[in-house]
Amino acid sequence: MLEYLAKRLLGIIPVIFAISVVVFAFVHLLPGDPARLVAGLDASQEDVAAVRQSLGLEGPLWQQYLRFAGNAVQGDFGISLKTRRPVLTEIGERLMPTVWLTVFAMLWATVFGLLIGVLSAVKRGRWQDYGGMIVAVSGISFPSFWLGLLLIDLFSVRLGWLPTGGYGTWAHFVMPSFTLGLGVAAVMARFTRSAFVEIAREDYVRTARAKGVPEAFVIWKHTLRNALVPVITMTGLQFGFLLGGSIVVETVFSWPGLGRLLVDSVSYRDYPVIQAEILLFSLEFIFINLAVDVLYAFANPEIRYK
Amino acid sequence: MRLKTLLAAGALSALAFAPGLAIAKTLVVGVPDNLTGLDPTNVNDTLSQTAMRTVYQGLFGFDRDMKLVPVLAESYEANPEATEFVIHLRKGVKFHDGTDFNANAVKVSLERLANPDNKLSRRSLISMLDRVDVVDDSTVKIVLKTPFGALINTLAHPAVVIMSPAALEKYGKDIARNPVGTGAFKFKRWAADTFEVEKNEHYWKPGWPKVDGVVMRSVPENGSRFAMLQAGEVQYVTLFPPELVPVAEKLPNIEVVKRPSIVGWYAAMNTTKKPFTDPRVRQALNYAVDKAAYCKVVENGYCTPLQSPMPELLGFFEPQKPYTFDVAKAKALLAEAGYPNGFETEIFALNNTNQIRAMQFLQQQLAQVGVKLTVTPLEAGVAAQRIWSVQKPEDATVQMQLTGWSSSTGDADWALRPLLWGKGFPPALFNVAYYKNDQVDADFEGALMTADPAKRGAFYADAQKRIWEDAPWIFLGASQLITAQSKALSGVYMLPDRGFVVETAEFK
Repeated sequence: MLEYLAKRLLGIIPVIFAISVVVFAFVHLLPGDPARLVAGLDASQEDVAAVRQSLGLEGPLWQQYLRFAGNAVQGDFGISLKTRRPVLTEIGERLMPTVWLTVFAMLWATVFGLLIGVLSAVKRGRWQDYGGMIVAVSGISFPSFWLGLLLIDLFSVRLGWLPTGGYGTWAHFVMPSFTLGLGVAAVMARFTRSAFVEIAREDYVRTARAKGVPEAFVIWKHTLRNALVPVITMTGLQFGFLLGGSIVVETVFSWPGLGRLLVDSVSYRDYPVIQAEILLFSLEFIFINLAVDVLYAFANPEIRYK
Repeated sequence: MRLKTLLAAGALSALAFAPGLAIAKTLVVGVPDNLTGLDPTNVNDTLSQTAMRTVYQGLFGFDRDMKLVPVLAESYEANPEATEFVIHLRKGVKFHDGTDFNANAVKVSLERLANPDNKLSRRSLISMLDRVDVVDDSTVKIVLKTPFGALINTLAHPAVVIMSPAALEKYGKDIARNPVGTGAFKFKRWAADTFEVEKNEHYWKPGWPKVDGVVMRSVPENGSRFAMLQAGEVQYVTLFPPELVPVAEKLPNIEVVKRPSIVGWYAAMNTTKKPFTDPRVRQALNYAVDKAAYCKVVENGYCTPLQSPMPELLGFFEPQKPYTFDVAKAKALLAEAGYPNGFETEIFALNNTNQIRAMQFLQQQLAQVGVKLTVTPLEAGVAAQRIWSVQKPEDATVQMQLTGWSSSTGDADWALRPLLWGKGFPPALFNVAYYKNDQVDADFEGALMTADPAKRGAFYADAQKRIWEDAPWIFLGASQLITAQSKALSGVYMLPDRGFVVETAEFK
């Protein structure tokens, strides 16, 4: 296991290198002179030169890349062009709201998604199955901006029970995490159901039943545990997506998270922040994938990566 | 039946939570964007500047109709050449840190902004400043390197503020995170999307402010801002979306306010490119466009047709004889100029919904007189390359460009000179029409050489008349600003430059 982990960690290095090249190239692929755009149209030549320097845009390309990568390794992503604060501070401020929102959304979505999925599979072809799948399909189909606005209209404007948005107490989490998690719960339910149905046809499930194992045990231990592998993959991917910060949900609920930071940065052409965010999202995915692979081993002891 | 009871209960509880019943002591404003910084001398967006107007003040300012009013100054005298301005300061004013506002504070603040070494983005406003002399504790003499008749208006710009010299000394570069001014409110907190100030107990205007503090919350989604207003979480919403106005106007405790702005929209025609070299062609295009329809189609009706090259709330505005919508006259003028069947041309603008809609509107209008217009939306970076960074007029590819302009000094100079001065071709300034009229140039320059309002007014009246006749632009409209607020709130209002004033906020 340890050896496997070490191998995987080493394998990450070329991936990170490739990502860093893409992120670095991004500024150079855009039309127009980024330094001129950032400095403003009425800026003097010296101002443009100063911006070019602060963006690290002078010298040959390979030198620029080395400078960028060298600083990034030390956690220095430069200064936000918009707020003139270190990029790391900007991202740090937005990271936790997004992480907490993701955690809460994933938590309820996973629990409910799994339960609905198992219920639908066990009661396949009966009303519980249809009911569960109707909920799941609706969950995927609801556009989250629309659902978010409907929730705000009902619970904040009409009933006055919950705040319309912003980051603060538990009450602020209810609607955004519900909206964000609904799609995930739906995907989870469908995945669990199909994996579960497939495993339930396996010989060892029939054997377990034949030798008189109680039904609850057959469902939760023999079937679900084996059905979990694809579900864990799915959970990991969804977790990664949500950690990037949901642009729509964060906008509708005025959530000060990473998704909104990205939108703001793109519209302001805040190159250093955009670069750092893309890098962060890529890293998140890499490590989530790693975590998922490790989790497989716990779900299914056969996958122990000797 | 049971559902009905439930709904009724819901409605009752909604009443109990209804906004406006509880007496809020802190004003919360919902704004669409985030602030970009807390140093008004180094930010470029109206929102940050207007937010900092709660903390900082200038020597002069604008009232709600964009008329110049003294703030930290009491009066001024200027020499006839507009190079020396003596300003008498208000006495007994203190900064939030307890130090005195005086002549030295004015000297330190203005010279800081004008010093190129400080690299402040708003330096260009007063780059003509030579020095500030302290005459006595409450009098300064501002000496300029070159005559600049619009100086007093420039001193009213929200970027030209007086900062506490003690705080500048103490915080150095960190002043951008620790603002200390003389305003009605003291800075409290700025986090990701929230800006907070609290009441200045020692404010120099007795009895003000009436609220305990002001919070500005950035809420990008239009629908969410409206919901917050309905739920009573905010009491004032700026840049209210036009499509929600009919809904908001029906609500009992919400008031929608529309006010004229100083943002003028026009389509510049490159006067060095055929057929726009002929003034008759340019006038014809002005007759061919129905300005009232423009306001209706492009601005949802929240706009007034331009009556001069600059919007009417600006100083020295003079209304001109309108180019009334007249297709026959437009066709006749085009025929006279040698284009009886029209011609083909292209228009540039940015690629946002509104500007694309405006270009398509022009395309449809000009088609009626045989002018085939190609609509070309540009991404901001491409626009910079193709319009603003062109080094020589003969290299310009722009034939027409649709754009808007707002003169944040509230003065005719910054409304006209950057756009229509013969020495203001890109990349120096923004004269995309490559318009050059020696008489107009002389007016612009003459108006800057004097501080006498009567003389300046005469120069700008002449310039507006000549520009209107030469028609280097299709003159379109000035947008209106829409805000929505709780009926319990009074005293908060929008300024024509898209800023807003909260100092006089009060809850009924």
